[in-house]
Amino acid sequence: MTKTTGTTKATGTTGTTGSTGTTGTTGTMTGTPPAVSFTGAVRSFGAVRALRGVDLRIARGETVALLGRNGAGKSTTIALLLGLTEPDEGRVELFGDPPEASVRAGRVGAMLQEGRTVPRVTVRELVTFVAGRCPAPMPVARALEPAGIADLAGRRVDRLSGGQTQRVRFAVALAGNPALIVLDEPTAALDVEARHAFWASMRSYARLGHTVLFSTHHLEEADAYADRILVIDGGRIVADGTGEQLKRAVGGSLVALDLAGRGAEGLELLPGVRSVEVRGDRARLRTDDPDATVIALAGLGAIRGLEVAPASLDEAFLAPTAREREAA
Amino acid sequence: MLDYLRLEVRRTLRDAGFVIGGIAMPVLMYLLFTNLGADDGTWKTGAMVGMAGYGAVGCALNTGGGVAEDRAIGWLRQLRVTPMTPRQVVIGRTLTGSVTVVPAIVAVLAAGGLLNGVRLDAWQWAAIAALLWLGSVPFTLLGLGNGYRLTGQTTGVANMACNLGLAVLGGLWFPVTLFPGWLRTLSGYTPTYRFAQLGTSVAAGHAPALGALAVLTLWLLAFGSYAVLSYRRSAGNI
Repeated sequence: MTKTTGTTKATGTTGTTGSTGTTGTTGTMTGTPPAVSFTGAVRSFGAVRALRGVDLRIARGETVALLGRNGAGKSTTIALLLGLTEPDEGRVELFGDPPEASVRAGRVGAMLQEGRTVPRVTVRELVTFVAGRCPAPMPVARALEPAGIADLAGRRVDRLSGGQTQRVRFAVALAGNPALIVLDEPTAALDVEARHAFWASMRSYARLGHTVLFSTHHLEEADAYADRILVIDGGRIVADGTGEQLKRAVGGSLVALDLAGRGAEGLELLPGVRSVEVRGDRARLRTDDPDATVIALAGLGAIRGLEVAPASLDEAFLAPTAREREAA
Repeated sequence: MLDYLRLEVRRTLRDAGFVIGGIAMPVLMYLLFTNLGADDGTWKTGAMVGMAGYGAVGCALNTGGGVAEDRAIGWLRQLRVTPMTPRQVVIGRTLTGSVTVVPAIVAVLAAGGLLNGVRLDAWQWAAIAALLWLGSVPFTLLGLGNGYRLTGQTTGVANMACNLGLAVLGGLWFPVTLFPGWLRTLSGYTPTYRFAQLGTSVAAGHAPALGALAVLTLWLLAFGSYAVLSYRRSAGNI
């Protein structure tokens, strides 16, 4: 009753301050085609409409997180992007070309989601092989280094731990020195330390001007490591902006209190409040000015079981998602 | 492509199951079958060709098992996001099949020549090895057809069934002269019988019969189409 986690029915209106939409697309007007472009991409699998019309643009050099729960359409988006499957409608382009052409040209490196590895090859053999397919690969040692597996080069891939395996897959994605690297839930099998190491190397790669797109359902990860977050839900991009923008869109803070039988009417008129949500006997107020809201609540003598928290990205993530669910 | 071939051959040869089942087993079975019981020199030669053929068929089918495994673990998917084209991958896999049949053929022929005292002219050795090598292509295609169509486990079972069934029916294990008449007739239509016939004809000192080539060509076309259809069916969800 007290936490929103897991509920999809929440939030009335969340004050649409515009950040849902296409904010991060600046820089595409420079004449060079964007790294990634989806135009009205629709993809169904049988009766399941996995993508219901996705429009997005990722400029070169951006680091973008694709955030969504399981089944939201992340994997389908990535499959379309890599040319592993084709859209039923709409268009997908990488660097102005169809995905397949870009992949053939070695402009794309990918770390796919499958958990298992190629048996009976060594790390060096595997990375060397993939690097050798690309026109301008990086030296194998340079692909192993950022992935933190230089000392594992001679080991058989199928005899590594889960975390080591994941880093091998990262090295495989880097090997061709691609302009765009796509990582599908890259840190799923990593412990905290390995996770930090992983993001550090990802960052240094991005800093070289490469474009990075990663999917995740870890909000903190998206917030911490991406310049821009695309929230996908129900097969559509439902929010697009920086972590800050997304948070602002939902309201700066969350004030929750017990109503103790008292009605919730009038609460939405308190200073700073943008929206009120009542669940059972508890009201949750989204507010831009929590101090003023709390003082006003005190004036009403309404403070019972008060809780004030900054709007987490969790909220930002859930809010537009819930709205989308209702509209669908 | 050559790199891919090298990588896959390496992976295959590192597979203990492959080395034992595909190379050691036929050699052992050959030595066993020819050194137990009655022995008239011709059986040692006939069984040598038969077992080399059996080993080659097993290794060729094994290529399909590898494909099923690669599909299951996502390796084929990973290859699709490299600049390699699907065609290169399929051709590379087929070539892997034709490389990995060589050790089995060579090992059984060596066992025949060195341990069992089979004596043939140099050209006969070379021709038998070459014909068995070329003749294994239909079986590689059959394996690929299974591998692209079925899951890893069912591919293993299907390959095993194909391997044993065709080996026995085609007289790779026992001479077809021991079969009842109707079975012998049936045997004449199997790819394995005709496959072995390529080698036995040469061992007997003459060129392979046209009938053998014709039947084997038909099987080549049949298994080739099967492989293409299976590949097309799976291509979307690799």
